[in-house]
Amino acid sequence: MQQRQRIIELNVNGETHTLAVEPQRTLLEVLRDNLGLTGAKRGCDQGYCNACTVLVDGKAVNSCLILAVRAQGKRITTIEGLSHNGRMHPLQEAFVNRGAIQCGFCTPGMVLTAKALLDANPDPSEMQIRRAISGNLCRCTGYVKVVEAIKEAARVLKTGGAA
Amino acid sequence: MQYPRRLPRFEYLEPKSLTEACKLLLQNDGKARVVAGGTDLIPKMKRRDVNPRALISLHGIPGLETISHSQVDGLRLGPLTTLGAVESSTIVTERFNVLYQAVQSMASSQVRGLGTVAGNLCNAAPSADTAPALMVLGTRLKLISPQRERTVAAESFFAGPSATVLEPGEILAEIQIPEVPRRSAGVYIKHTLRRAMDLAIVGVAVAITLQDDTCHNVRIALGAVAPTPIRVPGAEAILKGKGRSGDLFRRAAKEAATACQPIDDVRGSADYRREMVEVLTRRALEQAWDRCPGSTEGKR
Amino acid sequence: MKEYSVVGKRLPRIDSPAKAMGQAKYAADLVLPRMLHGKVLRSPHPHARILNIDTSQAEGLPGVKAVVTGKDTKGVKFGGWRAFTQLIDQYPLCMDKVRYIGDEVAAVAAVDEDTAEEALDLIRVDYEPLQAILDPEAAMKEGAPRIHEEVERNICWSRFIEFGNVEEGFARSDYVREDNFSLQTQAYAPTEPRACLASFDHAGRLTIWTSTQCPYPVQCQLAAALGLREGDVRVVQPFLGGGFGAKFELFPYEVCCSLLAQKTGRPVKMMYTRQEEFSASRTRHAMKIWLKTGFKKDGTLMARQARAVLDGGAYTSFGPTVTFTAGFFHTLLYRLPNYKYEGYRVFTNKPPSSGMRGIGAVQPFFAGETQMDMVARDLGIDPIELRLKNARQPNEVIPKLTTVNSCGLSECLTKVGESTRWHERQSKLPPGRGIGIACAGQQSGGAFNWFRTRLAFSNARVRANDDGTVVLFAGAADIGQGSSTVLCQILAEELGVRFEDVSIVAADTGTTPVDIGTWGSRVTFQAGNAVRAAAIELKKQLFAVVAPKLNADPVDLDIKDRKIFAKGRPEPSMPFPEAVTAAQAANKGKILEVAGSYHPEGKGIVSPAYSFVAVVAEVEVDRETGQVKVDRLTVAHDCGQPINPMSVEGQVEGSVHMGLGYALTEQVVSEKGEMLNPSFLDYRIPTALDMPEVKIIEVITDEPEGPFGAKEAGEGCVAPVAPAIANAIYDAIGVRVKDLPITPEKVLKALREAQPNS
Repeated sequence: MQQRQRIIELNVNGETHTLAVEPQRTLLEVLRDNLGLTGAKRGCDQGYCNACTVLVDGKAVNSCLILAVRAQGKRITTIEGLSHNGRMHPLQEAFVNRGAIQCGFCTPGMVLTAKALLDANPDPSEMQIRRAISGNLCRCTGYVKVVEAIKEAARVLKTGGAA
Repeated sequence: MQYPRRLPRFEYLEPKSLTEACKLLLQNDGKARVVAGGTDLIPKMKRRDVNPRALISLHGIPGLETISHSQVDGLRLGPLTTLGAVESSTIVTERFNVLYQAVQSMASSQVRGLGTVAGNLCNAAPSADTAPALMVLGTRLKLISPQRERTVAAESFFAGPSATVLEPGEILAEIQIPEVPRRSAGVYIKHTLRRAMDLAIVGVAVAITLQDDTCHNVRIALGAVAPTPIRVPGAEAILKGKGRSGDLFRRAAKEAATACQPIDDVRGSADYRREMVEVLTRRALEQAWDRCPGSTEGKR
Repeated sequence: MKEYSVVGKRLPRIDSPAKAMGQAKYAADLVLPRMLHGKVLRSPHPHARILNIDTSQAEGLPGVKAVVTGKDTKGVKFGGWRAFTQLIDQYPLCMDKVRYIGDEVAAVAAVDEDTAEEALDLIRVDYEPLQAILDPEAAMKEGAPRIHEEVERNICWSRFIEFGNVEEGFARSDYVREDNFSLQTQAYAPTEPRACLASFDHAGRLTIWTSTQCPYPVQCQLAAALGLREGDVRVVQPFLGGGFGAKFELFPYEVCCSLLAQKTGRPVKMMYTRQEEFSASRTRHAMKIWLKTGFKKDGTLMARQARAVLDGGAYTSFGPTVTFTAGFFHTLLYRLPNYKYEGYRVFTNKPPSSGMRGIGAVQPFFAGETQMDMVARDLGIDPIELRLKNARQPNEVIPKLTTVNSCGLSECLTKVGESTRWHERQSKLPPGRGIGIACAGQQSGGAFNWFRTRLAFSNARVRANDDGTVVLFAGAADIGQGSSTVLCQILAEELGVRFEDVSIVAADTGTTPVDIGTWGSRVTFQAGNAVRAAAIELKKQLFAVVAPKLNADPVDLDIKDRKIFAKGRPEPSMPFPEAVTAAQAANKGKILEVAGSYHPEGKGIVSPAYSFVAVVAEVEVDRETGQVKVDRLTVAHDCGQPINPMSVEGQVEGSVHMGLGYALTEQVVSEKGEMLNPSFLDYRIPTALDMPEVKIIEVITDEPEGPFGAKEAGEGCVAPVAPAIANAIYDAIGVRVKDLPITPEKVLKALREAQPNS
């Protein structure tokens, strides 16, 4: 067993963790089970719901589909890394203030997907927002207030409210 | 009923060259799988649909994520070029738009960021969206193994559901898309029940090249209506050398519907699929024709 | 319209920052030292006798700490419908028979998930397959094999409602029509797959953190299943990732998890996979409805008769309630003099069906509101006018069933019509485009004591601290609908303090008073009334102490913005913290804490109050592919006084989303009892690209029974979406689809049948 494990270095939210993991461990499992970062959710474990979305080198990807060994050397951001000292990122603030959060289970994935979108396209159209989050399934909100929140965050970020 | 589980144990191999990857494939005697994006393979392994002894990752090999373009060589995609990279490539959107249409219709933005075009082909699902688009673009696929290198046409790559012509030790090394003639246009219509996160009930790709006011060349390919994605040469023949005609589009569409071999499944019945092939082939032909630069519609 | 300080404000929810920052812990996120991982072995057969179970190999696998089967349980059945003992019919682990693919057969606890999964493969079960009964109509036939030996014709529950005289009513009608409707099985599909974590202390007391909407009912049932006293079982609800009725009962895996924890002396966690969440939980009842309705030529509703057959699946679950409400809802919207209903819930070898958002409402409203449209067309009356002519009015009695107090249905109809320019557009849109209307109503929680609890349905305690903070202890569970925020708003409003002064401890049977749980849109109304009662009692105690100091009579005192004063005289006043300090001192330092409760006593057998809603759908239909695109949904909703309008909108938008899926894309597909689409890929809830524009019109009424005039909000909005879309499709292309979901294939088939030559 022991020799099956590999020592990897994961850079998560700016901190480097040295971990021994077996190759079959997904990034989602390592984040949740080894690092206690439970903000990424195991909603389906198949890549169909995107509740496990994290940013890898700035891109939103399904952490349930990527092996932890492959994430070695990449810059990983989880929802826990978006706020600083308890201060929310404008996206998080907009989600809260606009009522875009109900049960909250899809929220971390939704917020990070929106983060990747706004980083690449600071002024997205409503259709671009909807396309970007179309893989993030939500059973509570009908996406109405989620879309509003992302629009609001885009406005705030453009006027210099970046956290 | 098999419930999905955590991933099974496997050996994780990271070759430093494609040749080494091919050798590792051979050494593992059919019990290893090449992994690129993993977006198809990982869920399959969790469901225990496949249970490889080893995964051969291509990510340790430099230079496989390329999108290169020249007038002579056309567009070349590497084995690790992601769907997302293709989607955001200006050259693809401008000159190979039918491929863009196919790619942007797939799964989610997250999956497109991981999954690769080569993986979509090698996974060989009958509904693979990139396949019809690549077929109508006249794509050839470079396959390499320790013994030889060969290229096959995209339409000759598939051998059945989840099966390709790849031989033991062979890897899809490059996707070669020839330069598109000037007065050409392509359309991919994906028929789904949901507008995202869905597999095609029917996928129809059409590429047309005009000369004067006639069809110089046309390719029609279908997804999700046969054991593999298919070309429908019979339907293409109806249109070649002819002018724009609703009647010909209808005849070609009917021929495409006759040529396909759909099945019943949870997404749709065989009859419905066949009917949709006819409707959507006609629409794709109309749209593609009218998008060709210099077509009567296109001039408007 | 009354002006409130906290009620009626668009306040962000109190739990949203924790959720936005990823700090909110859901059941699957919890970890305890030395925790084991549990997994359940499920039946691969829809119906089979268990001949033998051999667990020896699994027990021998290194890392496996315990394996349990039915023999390790108390052999006691559980079920929520405790009012009738014959309805308590599910074992924690199957004893002699399995009744659906997914039924629990054995469970293991191991050092990690991988080992637990491996152990499942090593359990040998010998089955004798029995004939599977999958069609409820066939299951009801004499001589059909029985799924539960003691249940004749597999009829789990039947319910009859009758008032007036339908024969006479039909005889006096000028126009009578009959239609058959078929409603599919819908999956709840909450985004969180359920999970629980069970741990015993040294005295043998159990604490379980579990994904539940109903901590108290789970506590009672779990104690019974384990042979413990209720007081020795503590059920804590962590953050919950959506319920919609799916997480409303005790589930076998929670008993298994507790048993394994008991047996191993270590905490055990169990997490459902997505596939289990789809195929081994609950579903919305599939239903066949026959509906006959009679009218006068002028559109006066004369009589209605309905028969419903409900596909119950393998166990009772919440089915009896659905069997009843599926009959009740035919009576709610319109003045109906004569009515007769028979409903049969029938066991089949499929996952049990239960109450899902719009409980027992979406099915009858699809039938009734689609038929209403057909009637309007046949009689040549505008669909809105026909509804207005018969619409329920405030303070009306539905014979033998209930009283409707506030009712804004007519206003909903008028406003939604105005907003969508209905009269200019209906039947007048270009080909392929259509507009359709449908209505619905929903109860504000149930009045019937199906759980046979001796306690009030809702209880709350309020503690005032001398620093001015107030703590609310409420058993009611926030399942993502925002009830904790709403309860805090009600408390702050009644107590005259600020919203930020109030905090809440909720949904923990160890620390919060009993609440019957979150179902049937009862929490704002019923728990809200309990909270308000506690606040009123607290004020009474404070005022008694403060009155002499302000030279006033206690009944003349009021409190606003943290200050107590005599009505009509703002000074002298006493700040709230000072008043609390005085009250403590007057009682020798006793904490100022009071209780309040609410029970729907004498409110008929249905509910104390009802919400109403009218929806207009605008659609485009592709006649060649059969695809339906919904462009806009306009919703006029009477929910009384909204406590938090932003949350109400969120509930409406979510309900519309669920109704849209029900109408067009969602369906559990099964073959031989096996679900064929147990994934988010093949079970299609609408994505952000599928959602149309949603326009919401608030119709505010004052519900006398509700806290600050509030009543049910949002849930009622699921039901009218599908019939509104179906009616809009008719407006667009002139064909009716009477079985859901309305797939492109069904639309094409209907078109072909309407024009056989094209």
